[in-house]
Amino acid sequence: MADTKTCSETAGKPIRCKAAISREAGEPLVIEEIMVAPPSPYEVRIRIICTSLCYSDITFWKLKAPPACFPRILGHEAVGVVESVGENVNEVAAGDVVIPTFMSECGECVDCRSKHSNLCSKLPFKINPWMPRYETSRFTDLKGETLYHFLFVSSFSEYTVVDVCNVVKIDPSIPPKEACLFGCCVATGVGAACKTANVEAGSTVVIFGLGSIGLAVAKGAKLCGANRIIGVDVNPDKFEVAKKFGVTEFINSKECGDKSLSQVVLEMTGGGADYCFECVGISSLVEEAFASCRKGWGKTVVLGVDKPGAQLNLSSFDVLHSKKILTGCLYGGVKAKSDLPLLLKRYMDKELVVEEFVTHEVKFEDINKAFELLLGGKCIRCVIWMDK
Amino acid sequence: MENQSGSKTAGKAIRCRAAVCRNPGEALIIEEIEVEPPKAWEIRIKILCTSLCHSDITFWKISTGPFAVFPRIFGHEAVGVVESVGAHVEEVEEGDRVVPVFHPNCRECGDCKSQKGNECSIFGYKVETKMPRDATSRFKGMNGEDMHHFFYVSSFTQYTVVDVANVVKISNQIPVDKACLLSCGISTGIGAAWKVADIEQGSTVAIFGLGAVGLAVAEGARLRGASKIIGVDLNEEKFEIGRKFGVTDFINPTACVEKKVSEVIMGITDGGADYSFECIGLASLMEDAFHCTRQGWGKTVILGVEKHATPLPLNTYFLLRGRSVSGCFFGGLKPKSDIPMLAHKYLNKELNLDGFITHQLSLQDINKAFHLMLQGKCIRCIIWMD
Repeated sequence: MADTKTCSETAGKPIRCKAAISREAGEPLVIEEIMVAPPSPYEVRIRIICTSLCYSDITFWKLKAPPACFPRILGHEAVGVVESVGENVNEVAAGDVVIPTFMSECGECVDCRSKHSNLCSKLPFKINPWMPRYETSRFTDLKGETLYHFLFVSSFSEYTVVDVCNVVKIDPSIPPKEACLFGCCVATGVGAACKTANVEAGSTVVIFGLGSIGLAVAKGAKLCGANRIIGVDVNPDKFEVAKKFGVTEFINSKECGDKSLSQVVLEMTGGGADYCFECVGISSLVEEAFASCRKGWGKTVVLGVDKPGAQLNLSSFDVLHSKKILTGCLYGGVKAKSDLPLLLKRYMDKELVVEEFVTHEVKFEDINKAFELLLGGKCIRCVIWMDK
Repeated sequence: MENQSGSKTAGKAIRCRAAVCRNPGEALIIEEIEVEPPKAWEIRIKILCTSLCHSDITFWKISTGPFAVFPRIFGHEAVGVVESVGAHVEEVEEGDRVVPVFHPNCRECGDCKSQKGNECSIFGYKVETKMPRDATSRFKGMNGEDMHHFFYVSSFTQYTVVDVANVVKISNQIPVDKACLLSCGISTGIGAAWKVADIEQGSTVAIFGLGAVGLAVAEGARLRGASKIIGVDLNEEKFEIGRKFGVTDFINPTACVEKKVSEVIMGITDGGADYSFECIGLASLMEDAFHCTRQGWGKTVILGVEKHATPLPLNTYFLLRGRSVSGCFFGGLKPKSDIPMLAHKYLNKELNLDGFITHQLSLQDINKAFHLMLQGKCIRCIIWMD
């Protein structure tokens, strides 16, 4: 239900609310009261309705070295209601239902104006502790200590502040637990298949990693008319579920025997996939994915985020000789403000169904259960509901 | 058209001269050899002229491993006239002018029929040192020894035998020496620019290595209306030649003291080039080429053959931010359809090939071509057989 107040009583003042703070690498989040400053110019303060846990949150929660930093408010997949806006914000107003996005779209820079990129250069994607425009934080704990932002969103909090370039207004009738998925996994996976790879009808697609991203790629590939969608995972429990997302065949990467994973794929596909998607975040798996692609035109798309500094090594002769393409994307190549509405329209037209992603729902106070479930490979998306 | 072999030599071995390599890295020796008649699906060609490509040099130097085979007849960029054909050959006949091409194009396999890519699966993907279909040699030394072929062509000889999948018929109108260029390097560069990268008007392009392939990429980029064509080479003499092919900016890496080459390119292009091409064959340069492109859409095309099998290191951080890397043989072109297309463009004066030819030699002076290329003093040396 949208907040219908047009003039928030809290506008212009700091808000005291609950947040789940990550104070130490790998330790359970702590629910504490914090202060959320009012939005600066070009910023929007949002009351989060619900948020979901993505493995990228876990990657930076576990990491002890930079760009990890503590104490931090994680979370980047969410939906909320605008509580108040800062100066110069005209595109959204208090009461609007919005998705905060970690990918900015200023609409003015060369990259935003190009149809080939979603990497805004005015407020570039960074895994840094601050708000993008002023490099400061809007969060402090009750002792006055600064709490760091995450991916410009920080949705594990009842209230957050985001830049206007990181906000997309959506139809309030969309169920929040499905709307929040468009903040990351659904857009990333469907975008990677339909926009970055531009999967053609009749193609053979192989997806490495059947987490939420991989399953969203499967949905996207199916929308594009792919003929075979082969899912690769170490966890055979994922196979049955993956069928609902369009996956047609499976490879258990632990049961390849003497053969390498790519050899198994090459045999199964009669020479290699037209498209391979790496949705885990391990450089050596990217190498396998590249090797699993068909010579001549095979395209490998990297979606997984590996530890900073991880290198993959390709045989330059293989790159030369095979004419395969290796590329990657953030957020599926999707432009937050220009493309997300189109994706949401496909959802509203029931072309794209996402309810199967939400396998668990917890209350905010039980947010650490979401971490346990995801670390144990026992959920796809666990939605975390804020109290009203 | 009847497929008559009116040639007096048809069906018999031909004795002729060839430049033979007997040891890695050593001067070629002009020797008399015997060239056997073509078997089924093969064509015997009288070479009119041939040119030296750096890939010949790369393999000429290799002294160990499965590619180090001797004696061998190198050369893969050439033009000739069909002397006779074997059984089942219908697409060319005696007297036709043809360009042999190392990259097969049978036109019947699924890959050839696909619009995408330029693979041809007729011979599989092995690197051969003999004829592709039966793995035997058509060359014999005067003492009866077999000689190894090179890249299915072997053009440093007055006569050679080539599979029909490796032969492209070409118009008599295009001057012989220009036709020869289309057999490898120039087509590779132009194809890379037009087909693999598909450069649009206004694009910015960075080219690492201003040899024949790099200059051909420049020519291809210029014809597509690229706004900036940045040439990177250690040899400043290449800059003057590069200008003729459309290169607008030059970078000599030894002069880049404070910044890396990729950083200089990013400065010139306001964030990174739209396309970069590696036309030398060094993994470290491939990495530089990858890092000089613009995030979001920057595309790197690898054309150089890495002789040390050094892996290309990449960080997924950059792939996630939209850069892509790919490579190609023969510029992604399908030889039998695209070589005639390029010849046509040359005849219509839409494509400049003249500037690539810097020297002319006769077969007996073929080693001069190696010296010139090793010293970076030539682009293409045309070696005439007669």
